[in-house]
Amino acid sequence: MSISSLDQPEPARPPVGDVLLDVEHLTVEFTQKRGETVFDRGRNVIHAVTDVSFDIHQGETLGLVGESGSGKSTTGRAILKLTPVKSGTIRFDGQDLTAMAKRVPLEVRKGIQVVFQDPYSSLNPSMVVADLVGEGLEVHFGLKGAARDERVLSLLESVGLARHYMERYPHEFSGGQRQRIAIARALAVQPQMIVLDEPVSSLDVSTQSQVVNLLEDLQAELGVAYLFVAHDLSVVHHVSHRIAVMYLGRIVEIGPSDRIWGAPAHPYTQMLLDSVPFANPTAQASKREARLAAAVDIDLPSPLNPPSGCPFHTRCPHVMDVCKEVMPGMTDAPGGGQVACHLFGDGSVAVAAPSMRLDADTSSSPAPSGVDTTV
Amino acid sequence: MSFTLPDGGSGPSGGPPPGGPPPGGMPGGMPGGPGGMPPGMGGIAPADLVASGGGTPYQTLSGRQRFWRRLRSRPEAMTAAAFLVFLVLVAIFAPQVAPKDPYDQNLRDNLQGPSSQYWLGTDQLGRDVLSRIIYGGRVAIQSMMIATVISAVIGVPIGIAIGFIGGWLDRIVMRILEVLYALPQLVVLIAIIGIMGPGLRNAMIALGLFMSTAYIRLLRGEVLAAREDLYVDSARVIGSPTRKIMFKHVLPNVLPTLLVTMTLLVGAVLLAEAGLSFLGLGAQPPQASWGAMLQESLTYIGRQPFLAVPPGIIIVITIMAVNLVGDAVRDSVGRGMPPAPPRRRRRQAVPEVDAEAILAEAAKELSAFGSARFERAPDTALLAVDGLSVSFPTPQGGVLTILQGSTFHVMPGETLGLVGESGSGKSMTALAVMGLIPSPGQVVAGSVKLNGIELTELSDNDLRKTRGTEIGMIFQDPMSSMNPSMTVGDQIGEALRIHKGYSKKAARERATDLLDLVGVPDPSRRVRAYPHEMSGGMAQRCMIAMALACEPKLLIADEPTTALDVTIQGQVLDLLRRLKDELGMSILFITHDLGVVAEICDRAAVMYAGQVVEQATVNELFTNPQHPYTEGLLRAMPQNTLMGERLRTIPGQVPEPWAWPTGCRYHPRCPYAQDACTSDSIDMQQLIPAHIVRCRRAEELQLEAAQ
Repeated sequence: MSISSLDQPEPARPPVGDVLLDVEHLTVEFTQKRGETVFDRGRNVIHAVTDVSFDIHQGETLGLVGESGSGKSTTGRAILKLTPVKSGTIRFDGQDLTAMAKRVPLEVRKGIQVVFQDPYSSLNPSMVVADLVGEGLEVHFGLKGAARDERVLSLLESVGLARHYMERYPHEFSGGQRQRIAIARALAVQPQMIVLDEPVSSLDVSTQSQVVNLLEDLQAELGVAYLFVAHDLSVVHHVSHRIAVMYLGRIVEIGPSDRIWGAPAHPYTQMLLDSVPFANPTAQASKREARLAAAVDIDLPSPLNPPSGCPFHTRCPHVMDVCKEVMPGMTDAPGGGQVACHLFGDGSVAVAAPSMRLDADTSSSPAPSGVDTTV
Repeated sequence: MSFTLPDGGSGPSGGPPPGGPPPGGMPGGMPGGPGGMPPGMGGIAPADLVASGGGTPYQTLSGRQRFWRRLRSRPEAMTAAAFLVFLVLVAIFAPQVAPKDPYDQNLRDNLQGPSSQYWLGTDQLGRDVLSRIIYGGRVAIQSMMIATVISAVIGVPIGIAIGFIGGWLDRIVMRILEVLYALPQLVVLIAIIGIMGPGLRNAMIALGLFMSTAYIRLLRGEVLAAREDLYVDSARVIGSPTRKIMFKHVLPNVLPTLLVTMTLLVGAVLLAEAGLSFLGLGAQPPQASWGAMLQESLTYIGRQPFLAVPPGIIIVITIMAVNLVGDAVRDSVGRGMPPAPPRRRRRQAVPEVDAEAILAEAAKELSAFGSARFERAPDTALLAVDGLSVSFPTPQGGVLTILQGSTFHVMPGETLGLVGESGSGKSMTALAVMGLIPSPGQVVAGSVKLNGIELTELSDNDLRKTRGTEIGMIFQDPMSSMNPSMTVGDQIGEALRIHKGYSKKAARERATDLLDLVGVPDPSRRVRAYPHEMSGGMAQRCMIAMALACEPKLLIADEPTTALDVTIQGQVLDLLRRLKDELGMSILFITHDLGVVAEICDRAAVMYAGQVVEQATVNELFTNPQHPYTEGLLRAMPQNTLMGERLRTIPGQVPEPWAWPTGCRYHPRCPYAQDACTSDSIDMQQLIPAHIVRCRRAEELQLEAAQ
């Protein structure tokens, strides 16, 4: 499935090139032992990712948003070949990753790198910074000794770390600094794309902004593409060209970042947006009222046994009979992008669409929440 | 890049204070050190202190330099190492050192005690025991070397490989090991020796082969755990070959366990060698071996008890020396291990320094931070914290004040937000209110009054009772704050049974009601569930139920929604608001997220570097911030930035407590700082009613409000 959401040029963004990563009908399942005794051979199947398709262009940032358990991190891990794929294809720079054996050729490894959420466990505690950042240089460029150290120094500089950090261990750094080390480590191999798996979720607000700015600077400078996996829409909206929203292993909405933020189509996207707390007591009070009015106070259903029909129907304030039986397909969403919801497209029933928060043309500013203009 | 971090080591004050950081003096304060949390804290880490590493003023040393420096700082290990070197030298030069020929029999002088002729006496054949001990050292060192090296060389790679690769390889090797373990050790050894023939070397090779199974099992387990760590994934993505990941990434992290096993096995080798020699399978008579000497002495213990003493003592000392060296090496490799935290004893000082005197001195200075007129809490306040200061003595005899003159109050039915970045002291404030400051820190000045009762003067017992019944607390991570081996119902009921004398049945019923109250569906079933059977949001609800069990008047919530999804965060905040209204309690809400403050708090106190810097109602704080730090936090919220603009940040990071600048502590990061801000300390001032701020320029500055 090709998604042509880049028709509208976006201001103040670097030009976006050819398709770099193309994911089609990706499905990932895990099996889990059911019984506690050796005699019970039954296994549960966890549907982590189901029929997910998207693409990422060169130099583009695609935000992948959803709650924990939505399959967003698993999608990232599948692209990194850290998780076996059940079906579907992942093509990177023209090469089919899914057809490759577990041992991925070095030149493909060089293409995609990763920065994980937890800067405490993703850096080997027994290696010093010089070795952590230098590892990729040794593996891919055969750099050793002084040549390697020289390159490590320039990488540290580019992520804003002082040169005397070379011989220090990760536990001597704060969370934000560790994330900078992880970014330098990923950049060392000169990748075309970096999977950012919740890179700022565990950081303080001001540190978070520092790291996000760094990522944007690096993209402008190096033209690297990002798959930005996160649960916080306000950060994702800021860094992404496009956003894909995942729910229970499926993409339910994908489109230009401004449109998703300003005029979410899918009720789930709307719910995520309403949940983002705003640093404004007045706006927050009206948001709260809207949230309490629509409240469907149910946890995410288990991916062991996803609901029939639309996976969101158990929590959706606009649920209809058809939602419980038929899985909606992707249709064009108003304002750009696509959405999988019975409220839209050919089969749509004459029901009020979820309230549009803002008109698309004013969407470049943050939504003054609570101002609901029902369409 | 347009910004750089301030170099963590040399903070704005130009380097560490003379006292330096308090190594081990502030448990849990060392950045992220494993096991650095003091025991008995019930999972309350002073996260504010822990999370903000990077500022420790280390010298720049290479890994190897640090290894030697750490090793040299252990005198007992250096002594032990010297002894082992001495042992090796004596063994090598045995013919020159030994006073007599160890094989020279003199039956007339047999079984003698120590004398000037025979320093350690003679054995049953009249041979000189001292000489035999010296020659026996050769056997001992040889056996230790052969068996340890062989077992490690075989066991370590196999253990790492089967742990890392797993699958069929793992299954086959493990089944073989299980068969080996099912047979008596001696039978296996004799079988191996039977194939290779007797003699010390063969016996030790056999022993090494057998002992390698211990390494295989141990390393397999360790590697299985390490394999799940993200850094292994990260190395895979970089493209490191499997062999390199196993030996460069995984091995160094399992090395401490490996070294412990190795030192334990060295002792086992010495004893096993004795047993094998006794059976005629090891050192062949008349060759002297410590183990064989010990064995033989048993036969003559009635006639010459001293015969057992020399070999016994030398074996004990050697094994001890090996263990001491092994421990020191283990603690010094790689990042090393921190020394064990001191046992937590309330209000007791570290022995080296007179903490009481130091802290008393600090108290004098800090009492000046008592509340100003406009900060005085109303008499009706539920919680009134006034001039609260917390200090830690440093081992160098200095003092580290990590909380200075905190003054705030919480009215009945009110939610007060305590806001700030990591390292601002907000969690330490909560611990101080609860009386749970990790030793050797203590409240040096100020008061904490709950309903008019001074908590800092209560006895441990009364404080515990107050904590259990009047104050409830919920934490960031419900999963790690709950006991995984107890049902949710039992954990909720525990406080009721302790503090209110409920029966088991009544506690269970009340727990069910509480789960219903916090919105857990199907409470009568969930009450029997274990924490791991719940989602994060459900577990947090159970935590809240636990905190509410004794109907506290004050709920302290330490980042209760930070680990949750935004949708669940909203639900939990709604729940807290509803409970507050229904139960009429007050909430002290600690968070770094101003969005959450806007959502749930009535008033907020902003903290920076151990001080409250601004305090006002939430509406006032967001529409008319008066401290530049508050403005900085507000502007850093991503939703306050227009699309396409860079996110605004506060440059740098919160300094470490030992690098807090003079004057206004925020001045190095403040865009409005002037010369005057850098020298004198700044007092709180009130420009408009009910809004106090610690900023010299508050009156003239026009700061940006929330959008």
